[in-house]
Amino acid sequence: MLPLSLLRAAQGHPMLIELKNGETYNGHLVNCDTWMNVHLREVICTSKDGDRFWRIPECYIRGNTVKYMRVQEEVMDKAVEDQKKFRKHGQGRGGRGRGGRGRGSPSYRGRGGSGDRGGYRGNSNR
Amino acid sequence: MKRTASERDGGGRRETGLSAYVGSAISIITNDGRHILGTLKGFDQVQNLVIEGSRERVYSPDEGVETLELGLYLMRGDCIAVVGELDEEADAEIDLPSLKAHPIGDVLH
Amino acid sequence: MLFYSFFKTLTGKEVTVELKNDLAITGILHSVDQYLNIKLNEIKVVDEAKHPHLLAVKNCFIRGSVVRYIQLPQDAVDTDLLHDATRREARNAA
Repeated sequence: MLPLSLLRAAQGHPMLIELKNGETYNGHLVNCDTWMNVHLREVICTSKDGDRFWRIPECYIRGNTVKYMRVQEEVMDKAVEDQKKFRKHGQGRGGRGRGGRGRGSPSYRGRGGSGDRGGYRGNSNR
Repeated sequence: MKRTASERDGGGRRETGLSAYVGSAISIITNDGRHILGTLKGFDQVQNLVIEGSRERVYSPDEGVETLELGLYLMRGDCIAVVGELDEEADAEIDLPSLKAHPIGDVLH
Repeated sequence: MLFYSFFKTLTGKEVTVELKNDLAITGILHSVDQYLNIKLNEIKVVDEAKHPHLLAVKNCFIRGSVVRYIQLPQDAVDTDLLHDATRREARNAA
């Protein structure tokens, strides 16, 4: 399960987000994007030390400020369902999507083979 | 006996990512020094993680380890320092209530 | 790419990785990727009594961005080769 697929499945569900600065935001996920930017409604914001609260009708959080998101366990089941539907409708056609080097099995190898060119070839036969 | 990730990905090119850990119990150290355990359900290129059944172990020097149930977590990769494959048998041997330790410090770049 | 290639030649060797949170982990280098994320097998935390957090962990993935130092096995490093590779890389970059 890709993290962003889970996030998408969490739309409409309540979640808790802790930011890198320690603040937490409790609210319903309205929308999200591939940078993990999120739009929440009916939010309760809590300060880092946990002793101050604010009620905010809605807010937008930039993805790169997030530390983690805590979502309801049921969202995982929904995400799995969504994934099945996605596969059945063949939106992932074209050789991607399953096995090998598709989604879910990221390869850091980049293009063009082993990347050994001009590198350090030590006393190993690898 | 469950095979460990290192045994599973033998042969051919060495798997550099986290795929060998998917479905396994893992132990995470975050950049803010927290220790989170759970089952790795998924990850992406920047090590964002989906962790199911996650729980935090809170360490203190004069009291035993306290465990907090956290549930389903999506963690951002840039907040993660170490992801370890947890040997659940070995973990069950640890006497948490009497284990005292200082928490791990923050990652300071 | 030079250090990526360099670390690939060290796979199978024992290294100690010191993290930016002062944790130090010794283990057998299993693999590296282009971001210098590291996978170690048979790990042991240096000063395990102080940091018992990874007692039940045998192998791990360390994010390259949190690594401060990597202690290398002296005899596994061919410094002459590394010199040559460094010059070659510098020449190619120019």
